[in-house]
Amino acid sequence: MTERLTFSTYAARLRDFIRQNSSGELTASNAEEQFQELATQLFGLQREGNPAYRTFCQARKVTAESVADWRSIPAVATAAFKEFEVTSLPEAERTRVFHSSGTTGERPSRHFHNAESLAIYEASLLPWFETHVGARGLRFIMLTPTAEQAPHSSLAHMFDAVGRKFAAADTFFMGRVEGDGSWTLDLERTVELLREAITVKRPVRLLGTAFSFVHLLDYLAEVGERLHLPIGSRVLETGGYKGRSRSLPKAELHSLITQWLGVAAQNIVCEYGMSELSSQAYDREVLSAERGVQRRVFQFPPWARVQVVSPETGREVGEGETGLIRVFDLANVRSVMAIQTEDLGIRRGSGFELIGRATLAEPRGCSLMSV
Amino acid sequence: MNLPNYFLADLPPEAVLTGTMIEETCQALKRNRETYMVQRTTASLIRLLSGTAENWLEADYPFRKYALEQGPKETGFSAATLAAGLDGFFRELTGENLQALLVQDIGHLQRLDSPVASTAEQKLQRAALASGPEFLVHITAGRIPNPTFMSIVLGVLTRSAQFVKCSSGATFLPRLFAHSLYAADPKLGACLEVASWRGGSAHLETALFKEADCVTATGSDETLAAIRRQVPARTRFLAYGHRVSFAYITQEALSGFSPKKIVAAAAADVVAWDQVGCLSPHVIYVENGGAISPELFAEQLAGELGRREQAEPRGELPAESAAVIASKRAFYEIRAAHSPETRHWCSENSTAWTVIYEADPMFQLSCLNRFIYVKGVGNLTEALQSADSVRGSVSTVGLAATEEKSTELVTQLGHWGVTRVCPLGRMQSPPLTWRHDGRPSLGDLVTWTDWEQ
Repeated sequence: MTERLTFSTYAARLRDFIRQNSSGELTASNAEEQFQELATQLFGLQREGNPAYRTFCQARKVTAESVADWRSIPAVATAAFKEFEVTSLPEAERTRVFHSSGTTGERPSRHFHNAESLAIYEASLLPWFETHVGARGLRFIMLTPTAEQAPHSSLAHMFDAVGRKFAAADTFFMGRVEGDGSWTLDLERTVELLREAITVKRPVRLLGTAFSFVHLLDYLAEVGERLHLPIGSRVLETGGYKGRSRSLPKAELHSLITQWLGVAAQNIVCEYGMSELSSQAYDREVLSAERGVQRRVFQFPPWARVQVVSPETGREVGEGETGLIRVFDLANVRSVMAIQTEDLGIRRGSGFELIGRATLAEPRGCSLMSV
Repeated sequence: MNLPNYFLADLPPEAVLTGTMIEETCQALKRNRETYMVQRTTASLIRLLSGTAENWLEADYPFRKYALEQGPKETGFSAATLAAGLDGFFRELTGENLQALLVQDIGHLQRLDSPVASTAEQKLQRAALASGPEFLVHITAGRIPNPTFMSIVLGVLTRSAQFVKCSSGATFLPRLFAHSLYAADPKLGACLEVASWRGGSAHLETALFKEADCVTATGSDETLAAIRRQVPARTRFLAYGHRVSFAYITQEALSGFSPKKIVAAAAADVVAWDQVGCLSPHVIYVENGGAISPELFAEQLAGELGRREQAEPRGELPAESAAVIASKRAFYEIRAAHSPETRHWCSENSTAWTVIYEADPMFQLSCLNRFIYVKGVGNLTEALQSADSVRGSVSTVGLAATEEKSTELVTQLGHWGVTRVCPLGRMQSPPLTWRHDGRPSLGDLVTWTDWEQ
């Protein structure tokens, strides 16, 4: 006898899948089979229980029965999270909402959660984070405000969860939320904490957004203080700039991190995540077939899959080709699993190299694209 | 076709330009002008220009053939789009139209040759001579070549030495036009230079602007402000900022004329130059209450764009631009699923064309490349209120209206700040006499010598 599938029973199965993946007890074909099964189950639940998604699927004439493969599950544009409540949670059950950190004046995306979906979020976050960044018992310095100060930031929540799990007594949040909602950094205190770590030779984890690192690096350059973080330290850098600091090409930011913080490129990890997702991708510098070319290739955990799709045809591009990143995240339980981002990437195996947000960069003729 | 090395733009891509090279070029251009240009008559220059234009319209003219063969790779426009756009320009470049331009902007055909008087001036016992700048610099922008062609034509009429600085990657067609002038008249060609570099290369631009008597520039507000800072205070600076355009279709037009023709005209405006110019429509406003609804109009426009794609395919897009279209489509698909007030039609398996219908009249900037909004409105007042965010930046309105109503609508558009109204279907083909951004293009270049007799 099979029990009736609900979001809760699905969540239990997903946890089990995450556990099996993390303990390495799954064969590849087994993992694929289970992913397929969980994906179609979750699609069925979301098509039924998420009104905005149901409307979307109906317009596309996609029924629960017509989807036999996770790759054909309709993906929802991240922009839809700005206009619609893409959730299966009734209003009364929404205990938390994450907003995208868009540019000022823009409507943010809203991703609603309750205690159960947040628990799944953490169950997805922690093992993959640990694989790429974490080590228990180290000092964590976060260049963001606390989750309490920034309740709508999925990043602050992520860092909060990571801190609680890996360094409960030794986690520091260096960001502050200002009156206008912007984030600032307690630079002096940050440097003080880093110096302490150097003195006692204890490796740290330094986590922040690209723009917070620019502020920190600019400060170090200004005061002329070059730090050499203890061996074993790692930096996690995420997200873009959104006009909050001057923006730097990734390679330049990383070389400045090496220069001013003494952390080598192989110990800098980039995270790819967004408020609309519940799993994160991390990159590793990969030596490609072309000799000497270092590439940073992002990988999602086995419970989230990525496709790079051609903007022209919507079909998956070939290896090494450029397209839009589409994520199938089994941990996105109460919103939608299949998310179509506006980010361009290059397909590399089961991962991707990030190019970034597609914008109308080129001024075309006399069109006023910046209005 | 092997183009000889006449212009800096002909140099191999690895060639590095220096400030000294620019200075020397400017000096040579000025010397050549003094020797070869100053004594020319307007009539001879008009013959040269119109003759070259006639050549460009010949199917076997080598420069045209080369433009259509290599153009798709060099410019990103399909051969058919290029042919239509180039023909539109060169068909306008006739002796008659050039004469009309002279009369319109400076009042007399021989005004640039000697002091002359129009009938009105004769009565006042006055005459006047107009002189062009000795050295004219054009900073051009964008992928559409016609504005650059027109700048060169104006500079030829004013007998100026000319330096055309194109945005990087956009020299191909201006270069071919310059070569065609050179082939027709090498001495005149020796008074013209075409080059390209990344805007803001101060060492080149300082050298260039120092020599200029007049600088024309097209670009964003920031680009123009940056150029303005570099141009010496005494040098005339003519800035053409970014503009947007839209179309407006009245209910009487849809009821009275053949709606099919109106749809075809609207499609022509979306297709021309792949919609990437400042004269291309972002939005087509359609009045409610006509023989076909705005929504049905949008549907028919989609059908027409699909047909046009067969004959005149859109150029290939870089992934970034295609991704922007794909992302916009993905958003409107969801919006359309939720409300009958939004509908969308998209080319299959490509981003070739997209029509978004919205009942909400709020003006939307399109991501272009044949991505068009159709919006329903009650009347022009409502459309203009909805377009308030771009007020002051609107160039062209392509209008489909009955004759009786047109004068009233054009008056309203003019008072609101629109600088050009044309029939729908001709938005990207302004006449030679077009006053660019509401200013006399030739008139702004000259300096007058008044003679009170």
